[in-house]
Amino acid sequence: MNSKTSDTVDLPASKGRVLLAALLAFILAAVVLSVFILPAEFNRDPLGVGEALGITGLSQPAAESAETVRKEEGAFLRDSVSFQLLPFEFVEYKYELSKGAGMLYRWSVAKSRSGEASAVSFDFHGESHEVEDYEESYSEGEGDHEGGTFIAPFEGIHGWFWANHGAEAVTVTLSTTGYYTESLEFRDGFVKKQALK
Amino acid sequence: MIKHGAHSGLMKRLLNPSSPSLYMAAVLMLIPVFAAAHNISGANARFVEGLDGPAVIPYMYLGAKHMVTGYDHLLYLVGVVFFLRRLKDVILYVSLFTLGHSMTLMGGVLLQWNVNAYLIDTIIGLSVAYKAFENINGFQRIFGFQLNARVAVLIFGLFHGLGLATKLQDLSLSADSLVINMLSFNVGVEIGQALALVCIVAILGLWRRRNSFQKQAFAANTVLMSLGFMLAAYQFSAYLWA
Repeated sequence: MNSKTSDTVDLPASKGRVLLAALLAFILAAVVLSVFILPAEFNRDPLGVGEALGITGLSQPAAESAETVRKEEGAFLRDSVSFQLLPFEFVEYKYELSKGAGMLYRWSVAKSRSGEASAVSFDFHGESHEVEDYEESYSEGEGDHEGGTFIAPFEGIHGWFWANHGAEAVTVTLSTTGYYTESLEFRDGFVKKQALK
Repeated sequence: MIKHGAHSGLMKRLLNPSSPSLYMAAVLMLIPVFAAAHNISGANARFVEGLDGPAVIPYMYLGAKHMVTGYDHLLYLVGVVFFLRRLKDVILYVSLFTLGHSMTLMGGVLLQWNVNAYLIDTIIGLSVAYKAFENINGFQRIFGFQLNARVAVLIFGLFHGLGLATKLQDLSLSADSLVINMLSFNVGVEIGQALALVCIVAILGLWRRRNSFQKQAFAANTVLMSLGFMLAAYQFSAYLWA
Protein backbone atom coordinates (compact mmCIF):
# COMPACT_ATOMS: atom_id res chain seq x y z
CA MET A 1 0.00 0.00 0.00
CA ASN A 2 1.33 3.45 -0.83
CA SER A 3 1.98 6.25 1.62
CA LYS A 4 -1.16 8.06 0.56
CA THR A 5 -3.80 7.44 3.22
CA SER A 6 -6.71 8.51 1.11
CA ASP A 7 -7.76 8.16 -2.50
CA THR A 8 -10.36 10.84 -2.01
CA VAL A 9 -10.25 14.48 -2.98
CA ASP A 10 -9.13 16.94 -0.38
CA LEU A 11 -12.07 19.00 0.79
CA PRO A 12 -11.07 22.53 1.66
CA ALA A 13 -12.40 22.41 5.19
CA SER A 14 -10.85 23.86 8.30
CA LYS A 15 -10.55 21.99 11.59
CA GLY A 16 -13.26 24.15 13.09
CA ARG A 17 -15.65 23.39 10.26
CA VAL A 18 -15.02 19.67 10.57
CA LEU A 19 -15.60 19.81 14.31
CA LEU A 20 -18.81 21.76 13.80
CA ALA A 21 -20.02 19.26 11.20
CA ALA A 22 -19.33 16.31 13.49
CA LEU A 23 -21.08 18.07 16.36
CA LEU A 24 -24.09 18.91 14.18
CA ALA A 25 -24.29 15.35 12.89
CA PHE A 26 -24.20 14.04 16.44
CA ILE A 27 -26.79 16.49 17.76
CA LEU A 28 -29.15 15.82 14.85
CA ALA A 29 -28.87 12.09 15.49
CA ALA A 30 -29.48 12.57 19.23
CA VAL A 31 -32.58 14.70 18.56
CA VAL A 32 -34.06 12.23 16.06
CA LEU A 33 -33.30 9.40 18.49
CA SER A 34 -34.98 10.97 21.48
CA VAL A 35 -37.89 12.63 19.66
CA PHE A 36 -38.85 9.91 17.17
CA ILE A 37 -36.97 6.63 17.43
CA LEU A 38 -37.12 6.00 21.16
CA PRO A 39 -40.83 6.86 21.63
CA ALA A 40 -42.03 5.18 18.43
CA GLU A 41 -39.84 2.10 18.40
CA PHE A 42 -38.99 1.41 22.02
CA ASN A 43 -41.84 3.07 23.93
CA ARG A 44 -39.37 5.29 25.76
CA ASP A 45 -40.00 8.99 25.89
CA PRO A 46 -37.13 10.83 27.59
CA LEU A 47 -38.34 14.31 26.57
CA GLY A 48 -42.08 13.70 26.60
CA VAL A 49 -42.25 14.86 22.97
CA GLY A 50 -43.32 11.44 21.71
CA GLU A 51 -46.43 11.67 23.87
CA ALA A 52 -47.25 15.10 22.43
CA LEU A 53 -46.73 13.82 18.89
CA GLY A 54 -48.84 10.77 19.60
CA ILE A 55 -46.18 8.33 18.44
CA THR A 56 -45.36 6.79 21.81
CA GLY A 57 -46.05 3.09 21.79
CA LEU A 58 -46.45 2.96 18.01
CA SER A 59 -44.75 -0.39 17.78
CA GLN A 60 -46.12 -2.05 20.87
CA PRO A 61 -47.95 -5.29 20.24
CA ALA A 62 -51.61 -4.55 19.53
CA ALA A 63 -52.81 -6.55 22.54
CA GLU A 64 -50.78 -4.39 24.91
CA SER A 65 -51.66 -1.05 23.41
CA ALA A 66 -55.36 -1.94 23.34
CA GLU A 67 -55.12 -2.61 27.09
CA THR A 68 -56.49 -6.09 26.76
CA VAL A 69 -53.78 -7.19 29.13
CA ARG A 70 -53.66 -5.94 32.68
CA LYS A 71 -51.10 -7.43 34.97
CA GLU A 72 -52.00 -8.22 38.57
CA GLU A 73 -49.73 -8.85 41.53
CA GLY A 74 -52.38 -10.27 43.83
CA ALA A 75 -53.57 -13.84 44.10
CA PHE A 76 -56.02 -15.35 41.67
CA LEU A 77 -59.13 -16.06 43.74
CA ARG A 78 -62.35 -18.01 43.43
CA ASP A 79 -65.41 -17.59 45.51
CA SER A 80 -68.73 -19.39 45.62
CA VAL A 81 -71.64 -18.54 47.88
CA SER A 82 -75.30 -19.51 48.19
CA PHE A 83 -78.14 -17.57 49.78
CA GLN A 84 -81.54 -18.85 50.68
CA LEU A 85 -84.13 -16.13 50.34
CA LEU A 86 -87.61 -16.52 51.80
CA PRO A 87 -90.38 -14.50 50.16
CA PHE A 88 -89.67 -10.76 50.55
CA GLU A 89 -86.14 -11.36 51.77
CA PHE A 90 -83.15 -9.68 50.14
CA VAL A 91 -79.39 -9.81 50.34
CA GLU A 92 -76.42 -7.91 48.97
CA TYR A 93 -73.05 -9.44 48.22
CA LYS A 94 -70.10 -7.40 46.95
CA TYR A 95 -66.41 -7.59 46.23
CA GLU A 96 -63.64 -5.13 46.83
CA LEU A 97 -62.07 -4.40 43.42
CA SER A 98 -59.58 -1.76 42.40
CA LYS A 99 -60.08 0.22 39.22
CA GLY A 100 -59.53 -1.92 36.14
CA ALA A 101 -59.45 -5.20 38.04
CA GLY A 102 -61.39 -8.01 36.39
CA MET A 103 -63.80 -10.69 37.50
CA LEU A 104 -65.74 -13.49 35.80
CA TYR A 105 -69.15 -14.22 37.34
CA ARG A 106 -72.23 -16.29 37.08
CA TRP A 107 -75.20 -16.53 39.39
CA SER A 108 -78.35 -18.60 39.07
CA VAL A 109 -81.44 -19.52 40.99
CA ALA A 110 -81.74 -23.22 41.85
CA LYS A 111 -84.67 -25.08 40.36
CA SER A 112 -87.58 -25.57 42.69
CA ARG A 113 -89.60 -28.76 43.22
CA SER A 114 -91.73 -27.93 40.19
CA GLY A 115 -88.60 -28.08 38.01
CA GLU A 116 -88.58 -24.38 37.23
CA ALA A 117 -86.34 -21.67 38.56
CA SER A 118 -88.31 -18.71 39.76
CA ALA A 119 -87.03 -15.25 38.92
CA VAL A 120 -85.55 -12.82 41.41
CA SER A 121 -85.04 -9.08 41.20
CA PHE A 122 -81.38 -8.19 40.88
CA ASP A 123 -79.18 -5.17 40.65
CA PHE A 124 -75.51 -5.53 39.80
CA HIS A 125 -73.90 -2.28 40.88
CA GLY A 126 -70.87 -0.62 42.41
CA GLU A 127 -70.18 1.91 45.14
CA SER A 128 -67.17 4.13 44.77
CA HIS A 129 -64.44 4.62 47.36
CA GLU A 130 -63.15 7.61 45.46
CA VAL A 131 -66.34 9.65 45.23
CA GLU A 132 -68.58 9.68 48.26
CA ASP A 133 -72.07 8.18 47.82
CA TYR A 134 -71.42 7.47 44.17
CA GLU A 135 -73.26 4.40 42.91
CA GLU A 136 -73.55 2.96 39.48
CA SER A 137 -75.79 0.20 38.21
CA TYR A 138 -74.26 -2.17 35.67
CA SER A 139 -77.17 -4.52 35.11
CA GLU A 140 -80.56 -4.77 36.71
CA GLY A 141 -83.88 -6.52 36.19
CA GLU A 142 -85.68 -9.76 36.84
CA GLY A 143 -84.18 -13.12 36.03
CA ASP A 144 -83.04 -16.52 37.16
CA HIS A 145 -79.41 -16.25 36.05
CA GLU A 146 -76.75 -14.00 34.63
CA GLY A 147 -73.07 -14.40 33.83
CA GLY A 148 -70.31 -12.34 32.27
CA THR A 149 -67.03 -10.53 32.52
CA PHE A 150 -66.68 -7.49 34.70
CA ILE A 151 -63.95 -4.83 34.71
CA ALA A 152 -64.29 -2.45 37.63
CA PRO A 153 -64.75 1.10 36.29
CA PHE A 154 -63.61 2.61 39.60
CA GLU A 155 -62.15 1.54 42.89
CA GLY A 156 -64.86 0.40 45.26
CA ILE A 157 -67.18 -2.44 46.12
CA HIS A 158 -69.00 -4.13 43.26
CA GLY A 159 -71.67 -6.79 43.46
CA TRP A 160 -75.30 -7.86 43.52
CA PHE A 161 -78.50 -7.08 45.25
CA TRP A 162 -81.02 -9.92 45.02
CA ALA A 163 -84.58 -9.78 46.28
CA ASN A 164 -87.16 -12.55 46.28
CA HIS A 165 -90.53 -11.13 45.25
CA GLY A 166 -92.06 -14.58 44.65
CA ALA A 167 -94.23 -16.72 46.90
CA GLU A 168 -91.67 -19.50 47.38
CA ALA A 169 -88.23 -19.69 48.99
CA VAL A 170 -85.35 -19.57 46.44
CA THR A 171 -81.65 -20.31 46.54
CA VAL A 172 -79.30 -18.01 44.65
CA THR A 173 -75.80 -19.38 43.98
CA LEU A 174 -72.99 -17.09 42.86
CA SER A 175 -69.61 -18.21 41.52
CA THR A 176 -66.86 -15.78 40.70
CA THR A 177 -63.18 -15.70 40.04
CA GLY A 178 -61.03 -12.61 39.82
CA TYR A 179 -58.58 -10.23 41.40
CA TYR A 180 -60.64 -9.05 44.33
CA THR A 181 -59.43 -8.83 47.89
CA GLU A 182 -62.47 -8.96 50.11
CA SER A 183 -66.14 -9.87 50.07
CA LEU A 184 -68.95 -8.12 51.91
CA GLU A 185 -72.34 -9.57 52.72
CA PHE A 186 -75.18 -7.23 53.69
CA ARG A 187 -78.12 -9.00 55.29
CA ASP A 188 -80.69 -8.12 57.91
CA GLY A 189 -78.92 -4.84 58.67
CA PHE A 190 -75.56 -6.52 59.31
CA VAL A 191 -72.39 -6.45 57.25
CA LYS A 192 -70.24 -9.55 57.16
CA LYS A 193 -66.76 -8.81 55.81
CA GLN A 194 -64.50 -11.60 54.74
CA ALA A 195 -60.94 -11.28 53.54
CA LEU A 196 -60.44 -13.62 50.61
CA LYS A 197 -57.26 -15.60 50.28
CA MET B 1 -23.22 21.00 -16.76
CA ILE B 2 -26.94 20.73 -17.24
CA LYS B 3 -28.63 23.93 -18.31
CA HIS B 4 -31.86 24.73 -16.59
CA GLY B 5 -34.58 24.89 -19.21
CA ALA B 6 -38.08 26.05 -18.57
CA HIS B 7 -39.14 22.49 -19.30
CA SER B 8 -36.82 20.80 -16.84
CA GLY B 9 -38.48 17.54 -15.92
CA LEU B 10 -39.26 16.07 -12.54
CA MET B 11 -36.28 13.74 -12.74
CA LYS B 12 -33.92 16.65 -13.33
CA ARG B 13 -35.46 18.50 -10.44
CA LEU B 14 -35.05 15.49 -8.24
CA LEU B 15 -31.46 15.00 -9.26
CA ASN B 16 -30.64 18.68 -8.95
CA PRO B 17 -28.83 18.85 -5.64
CA SER B 18 -29.64 22.52 -5.14
CA SER B 19 -33.33 21.71 -5.26
CA PRO B 20 -35.06 21.02 -1.96
CA SER B 21 -36.82 18.06 -3.59
CA LEU B 22 -33.61 16.04 -3.41
CA TYR B 23 -33.55 16.45 0.35
CA MET B 24 -37.27 15.84 0.58
CA ALA B 25 -36.86 12.64 -1.40
CA ALA B 26 -34.01 11.60 0.89
CA VAL B 27 -36.14 12.23 3.97
CA LEU B 28 -39.12 10.40 2.50
CA MET B 29 -36.92 7.46 1.66
CA LEU B 30 -35.90 7.25 5.29
CA ILE B 31 -39.41 6.83 6.64
CA PRO B 32 -39.74 3.12 5.82
CA VAL B 33 -36.20 2.69 7.05
CA PHE B 34 -37.27 3.20 10.61
CA ALA B 35 -40.60 1.49 10.10
CA ALA B 36 -39.15 -1.93 9.35
CA ALA B 37 -36.42 -3.79 11.11
CA HIS B 38 -33.91 -4.97 8.61
CA ASN B 39 -34.30 -8.71 8.86
CA ILE B 40 -35.33 -11.36 6.44
CA SER B 41 -39.06 -10.98 6.57
CA GLY B 42 -41.48 -13.54 7.93
CA ALA B 43 -42.95 -14.92 4.72
CA ASN B 44 -39.53 -15.22 3.05
CA ALA B 45 -38.12 -16.91 6.12
CA ARG B 46 -40.95 -19.44 6.29
CA PHE B 47 -40.53 -20.18 2.58
CA VAL B 48 -36.83 -21.01 2.71
CA GLU B 49 -37.18 -22.87 5.98
CA GLY B 50 -39.77 -25.05 4.34
CA LEU B 51 -37.32 -26.00 1.61
CA ASP B 52 -35.27 -29.13 1.88
CA GLY B 53 -31.85 -29.47 0.33
CA PRO B 54 -30.09 -27.03 -1.96
CA ALA B 55 -32.08 -23.97 -3.03
CA VAL B 56 -29.71 -21.89 -5.11
CA ILE B 57 -32.09 -19.39 -6.64
CA PRO B 58 -34.19 -18.64 -3.50
CA TYR B 59 -31.08 -18.00 -1.39
CA MET B 60 -29.51 -15.95 -4.15
CA TYR B 61 -32.66 -13.87 -4.37
CA LEU B 62 -32.73 -13.37 -0.59
CA GLY B 63 -29.08 -12.27 -0.61
CA ALA B 64 -29.70 -9.75 -3.40
CA LYS B 65 -32.89 -8.51 -1.74
CA HIS B 66 -31.12 -8.12 1.58
CA MET B 67 -28.45 -5.97 -0.03
CA VAL B 68 -30.74 -3.83 -2.23
CA THR B 69 -33.13 -3.13 0.65
CA GLY B 70 -30.38 -2.95 3.26
CA TYR B 71 -30.08 0.75 3.96
CA ASP B 72 -27.17 0.22 6.34
CA HIS B 73 -25.04 -1.47 3.68
CA LEU B 74 -26.23 1.01 1.03
CA LEU B 75 -25.36 4.08 3.11
CA TYR B 76 -21.92 2.66 3.75
CA LEU B 77 -21.41 2.08 0.02
CA VAL B 78 -22.50 5.66 -0.71
CA GLY B 79 -19.83 6.82 1.74
CA VAL B 80 -17.18 4.56 0.23
CA VAL B 81 -17.67 5.61 -3.40
CA PHE B 82 -18.59 9.21 -2.67
CA PHE B 83 -15.30 10.73 -3.82
CA LEU B 84 -14.07 7.88 -6.03
CA ARG B 85 -13.92 9.30 -9.51
CA ARG B 86 -12.12 6.52 -11.32
CA LEU B 87 -13.83 3.23 -11.99
CA LYS B 88 -10.57 1.50 -11.06
CA ASP B 89 -10.82 2.89 -7.53
CA VAL B 90 -14.49 1.98 -7.24
CA ILE B 91 -13.63 -1.61 -8.17
CA LEU B 92 -10.67 -1.70 -5.77
CA TYR B 93 -12.63 -0.43 -2.77
CA VAL B 94 -15.71 -2.50 -3.47
CA SER B 95 -13.52 -5.60 -3.91
CA LEU B 96 -11.93 -4.99 -0.51
CA PHE B 97 -15.38 -4.56 1.02
CA THR B 98 -16.57 -7.74 -0.70
CA LEU B 99 -13.52 -9.66 0.44
CA GLY B 100 -14.14 -8.54 4.02
CA HIS B 101 -17.84 -9.33 4.19
CA SER B 102 -17.57 -12.64 2.32
CA MET B 103 -14.95 -13.90 4.77
CA THR B 104 -17.05 -13.24 7.86
CA LEU B 105 -20.33 -14.21 6.22
CA MET B 106 -19.03 -17.67 5.43
CA GLY B 107 -16.83 -17.95 8.51
CA GLY B 108 -19.64 -16.82 10.79
CA VAL B 109 -22.14 -19.31 9.38
CA LEU B 110 -19.77 -22.28 9.10
CA LEU B 111 -18.16 -21.83 12.51
CA GLN B 112 -21.55 -20.93 14.02
CA TRP B 113 -20.35 -17.73 15.63
CA ASN B 114 -22.96 -16.54 18.01
CA VAL B 115 -22.74 -12.76 17.79
CA ASN B 116 -25.49 -10.40 18.82
CA ALA B 117 -27.14 -9.02 15.66
CA TYR B 118 -28.02 -5.71 17.32
CA LEU B 119 -24.44 -5.07 18.43
CA ILE B 120 -23.10 -5.92 14.99
CA ASP B 121 -25.67 -3.61 13.42
CA THR B 122 -24.60 -0.89 15.85
CA ILE B 123 -21.04 -1.22 14.56
CA ILE B 124 -22.35 -1.18 10.98
CA GLY B 125 -24.12 2.10 11.76
CA LEU B 126 -20.90 3.48 13.19
CA SER B 127 -19.07 2.36 10.03
CA VAL B 128 -21.32 4.73 8.07
CA ALA B 129 -20.50 7.61 10.42
CA TYR B 130 -16.79 6.68 10.30
CA LYS B 131 -16.71 6.72 6.51
CA ALA B 132 -18.52 10.07 6.31
CA PHE B 133 -16.15 11.56 8.88
CA GLU B 134 -13.22 10.20 6.90
CA ASN B 135 -14.71 11.73 3.74
CA ILE B 136 -14.59 15.23 5.23
CA ASN B 137 -11.02 14.51 6.33
CA GLY B 138 -12.08 14.59 9.94
CA PHE B 139 -9.43 12.19 11.17
CA GLN B 140 -6.58 14.18 9.63
CA ARG B 141 -7.95 17.57 10.58
CA ILE B 142 -8.78 16.74 14.16
CA PHE B 143 -6.56 13.83 15.16
CA GLY B 144 -3.76 14.34 12.65
CA PHE B 145 -3.89 10.64 11.88
CA GLN B 146 -6.00 8.55 9.60
CA LEU B 147 -6.13 4.82 9.16
CA ASN B 148 -5.53 3.90 5.54
CA ALA B 149 -8.92 4.13 3.85
CA ARG B 150 -8.42 0.80 2.08
CA VAL B 151 -7.62 -0.98 5.33
CA ALA B 152 -10.66 0.63 6.95
CA VAL B 153 -13.00 -0.55 4.20
CA LEU B 154 -11.65 -4.10 4.57
CA ILE B 155 -12.10 -4.05 8.35
CA PHE B 156 -15.62 -2.67 8.18
CA GLY B 157 -16.33 -5.21 5.45
CA LEU B 158 -15.62 -7.87 8.06
CA PHE B 159 -18.28 -6.38 10.34
CA HIS B 160 -20.82 -6.04 7.54
CA GLY B 161 -20.23 -9.72 6.78
CA LEU B 162 -20.90 -10.65 10.40
CA GLY B 163 -24.17 -8.75 10.12
CA LEU B 164 -25.05 -10.77 7.01
CA ALA B 165 -24.13 -13.97 8.84
CA THR B 166 -26.49 -13.20 11.73
CA LYS B 167 -29.37 -12.66 9.27
CA LEU B 168 -28.65 -15.95 7.53
CA GLN B 169 -28.27 -17.75 10.87
CA ASP B 170 -31.73 -16.51 11.88
CA LEU B 171 -33.07 -18.93 9.29
CA SER B 172 -32.84 -22.46 10.48
CA LEU B 173 -30.69 -23.73 7.63
CA SER B 174 -30.75 -27.43 7.00
CA ALA B 175 -27.28 -28.81 7.59
CA ASP B 176 -27.05 -31.06 4.52
CA SER B 177 -26.98 -28.24 1.99
CA LEU B 178 -25.67 -25.50 4.24
CA VAL B 179 -22.63 -24.67 2.15
CA ILE B 180 -24.38 -24.46 -1.21
CA ASN B 181 -27.20 -22.34 0.22
CA MET B 182 -24.79 -20.04 2.02
CA LEU B 183 -22.73 -19.59 -1.15
CA SER B 184 -25.91 -18.84 -3.08
CA PHE B 185 -26.79 -16.21 -0.49
CA ASN B 186 -23.32 -14.72 -0.77
CA VAL B 187 -23.49 -14.59 -4.58
CA GLY B 188 -26.90 -12.94 -4.27
CA VAL B 189 -25.41 -10.35 -1.91
CA GLU B 190 -22.78 -9.48 -4.52
CA ILE B 191 -25.37 -9.25 -7.30
CA GLY B 192 -27.50 -6.96 -5.17
CA GLN B 193 -24.45 -4.89 -4.28
CA ALA B 194 -23.52 -4.53 -7.95
CA LEU B 195 -27.05 -3.43 -8.85
CA ALA B 196 -27.11 -0.89 -6.04
CA LEU B 197 -23.64 0.40 -6.92
CA VAL B 198 -24.58 1.04 -10.54
CA CYS B 199 -27.32 3.38 -9.34
CA ILE B 200 -25.22 5.01 -6.62
CA VAL B 201 -22.22 5.59 -8.90
CA ALA B 202 -24.41 6.93 -11.71
CA ILE B 203 -26.18 9.45 -9.47
CA LEU B 204 -22.94 10.52 -7.79
CA GLY B 205 -21.39 10.91 -11.26
CA LEU B 206 -24.17 13.26 -12.36
CA TRP B 207 -23.89 15.22 -9.15
CA ARG B 208 -20.09 15.44 -9.28
CA ARG B 209 -20.24 17.17 -12.67
CA ARG B 210 -22.00 20.12 -11.16
CA ASN B 211 -20.05 23.10 -9.87
CA SER B 212 -21.91 23.08 -6.59
CA PHE B 213 -20.75 19.52 -5.80
CA GLN B 214 -17.73 20.59 -3.74
CA LYS B 215 -19.83 22.71 -1.44
CA GLN B 216 -22.66 20.21 -1.14
CA ALA B 217 -20.34 17.26 -0.70
CA PHE B 218 -19.36 18.51 2.73
CA ALA B 219 -22.98 18.94 3.81
CA ALA B 220 -23.96 15.59 2.33
CA ASN B 221 -21.27 13.78 4.28
CA THR B 222 -22.34 15.58 7.45
CA VAL B 223 -25.87 14.25 6.85
CA LEU B 224 -24.45 10.80 6.12
CA MET B 225 -22.50 10.92 9.38
CA SER B 226 -25.65 11.82 11.25
CA LEU B 227 -27.56 8.96 9.60
CA GLY B 228 -24.78 6.63 10.69
CA PHE B 229 -25.12 7.83 14.27
CA MET B 230 -28.90 7.36 14.08
CA LEU B 231 -28.55 3.81 12.79
CA ALA B 232 -26.05 2.99 15.51
CA ALA B 233 -28.24 4.53 18.22
CA TYR B 234 -31.31 2.74 16.87
CA GLN B 235 -29.61 -0.65 16.86
CA PHE B 236 -28.03 -0.10 20.26
CA SER B 237 -31.42 0.84 21.71
CA ALA B 238 -32.80 -2.36 20.23
CA TYR B 239 -29.94 -4.24 21.88
CA LEU B 240 -30.87 -2.69 25.23
CA TRP B 241 -34.65 -2.87 25.06
CA ALA B 242 -36.00 -4.91 22.17
